[in-house]
Amino acid sequence: MGETRIIALCGKGGVGKTSVSSLLLRHLALAKGKKVLAIDADPCAGLAGSLGIRVKKSVDDIRRDLVAAIGKGRSAGAPETLRMLDYEIFDALSEAEGFALLSIGRPEDEGCFCRVNSLLKDIIQDLAAGFDYVLIDGEAGIEQINRRVMKRVDHLIIISDTSAKGVNVAGTIARVARENRAVDYRTMGLVLNRVRNEDEARAIAAQVSLEMYAWIPEDESIRELDFQGRPLLGMPEDSPANLVVQKLCKRLA
Amino acid sequence: MELFPSHILRIREFLESIPDRKIFRARLSRSWPEGGGKDVVLMGDVGVELGSPETESCSVLLWTGDASLVRDGVVSLIGPDLAEARQKSMAFGKIVLLHVEGFTEENTFHRYREMEQMRFLLDLKGYMLRATSQYQREWCRVSRDALEKGFCLSILGSSLMRVFRELDYCKGMEIVFITEDRDTIRKVREMTRDTSRIIAAMNKMADEMSFDCDECDYRDVCNDADYLKKMRTVYRRKATGEEPWEKHES
Repeated sequence: MGETRIIALCGKGGVGKTSVSSLLLRHLALAKGKKVLAIDADPCAGLAGSLGIRVKKSVDDIRRDLVAAIGKGRSAGAPETLRMLDYEIFDALSEAEGFALLSIGRPEDEGCFCRVNSLLKDIIQDLAAGFDYVLIDGEAGIEQINRRVMKRVDHLIIISDTSAKGVNVAGTIARVARENRAVDYRTMGLVLNRVRNEDEARAIAAQVSLEMYAWIPEDESIRELDFQGRPLLGMPEDSPANLVVQKLCKRLA
Repeated sequence: MELFPSHILRIREFLESIPDRKIFRARLSRSWPEGGGKDVVLMGDVGVELGSPETESCSVLLWTGDASLVRDGVVSLIGPDLAEARQKSMAFGKIVLLHVEGFTEENTFHRYREMEQMRFLLDLKGYMLRATSQYQREWCRVSRDALEKGFCLSILGSSLMRVFRELDYCKGMEIVFITEDRDTIRKVREMTRDTSRIIAAMNKMADEMSFDCDECDYRDVCNDADYLKKMRTVYRRKATGEEPWEKHES
């Protein structure tokens, strides 16, 4: 059995991060005999909708229940609590063919629950070890990945569209990742979304000094599925975006 | 050292009332391939699921110093085995009875925690376990592939007995699996209802340094179980420095 490969996607809101995550997930889950854990770490929790999946409960719901139980003096000892959280988190998975989705939920809004967050992160990491791939749909702040989901990722993918704001945020994420080591990563690269042509893609990649993993052309089928509110897992095999993501998937896997 | 004398007797009577249960001798030498740490079985690969959160589940682990109460090496099955499962998801009960030696008021809780962790050491290909002792629930999944290759409850029971042999104070072990129906599992839950409160009382004693019994939620079970009362006295003496703590290897 090989090690678990962890892929995290970050970027400014609205650049198509969740769409790219959905397409990547589709290709990873198609690999025969491989199991994929998708983690929706974006507080907007759009991945489930994009996959056409209903989320039963989020990690944040579990955290709040635990904090409430501790408040009422109903917590068990540490080993029992860990096992109970492991059980609850597995129960929170939404399962589909070849993959399971875990929704992190919104960040805590009051008080400091470092110990609880740390327990939950340990359990998510243990759970992840049972899968072949983990795909994290993150938010712009990559330190949230470290704090709430994973200490280490294999591939950190920064997504941007061609807008100046998106590219600017991508550059900031890359800098924070390199200089502050906000999350441990093995490789880091850029995926540009909704690009007109290769020249445009290269010009933008040069601005952020990041290796470009892929550029995804504007794709009418994504727009159409989004408009109809249908899951992106139903994208036509030969759609331009799908073909690019398929190649990207081979590179990462 | 008896914490569960009446519970074990009730379980023995219950077992005697089901003469047609299947009985296997554990085969400790029979092995099943390891899972390599990739224990997750997703719904699409499930052959049979036991005790999921949507159904009834009850898992208890009880120990005694009386060897006559434990039929060492016996695995009993009440209900169909995995290959004969009536549906993909079944209610599930598991009773583990252990004959132990050398338990004292001081080491009992440490040893309980050690025994409780043993089931998680199982690494069997195509078998996944999620369990919470707090709610006495155990949720297992067996992959379609493992089922086709012959994984069954006697293999699970034998594998579990093999890991418990590593604890030198466990001298005998008997396992009962129940897959019959929800009602039978509810019956077991009823028979063992306050064992979880006894465990919770021990948890509280070990993890909290408060010995104010007037304020304690578990005063009723403590007052009913002499052994718990003795444990409480020992913990109080240790906590107040009257006696030193034993060292536990962990």
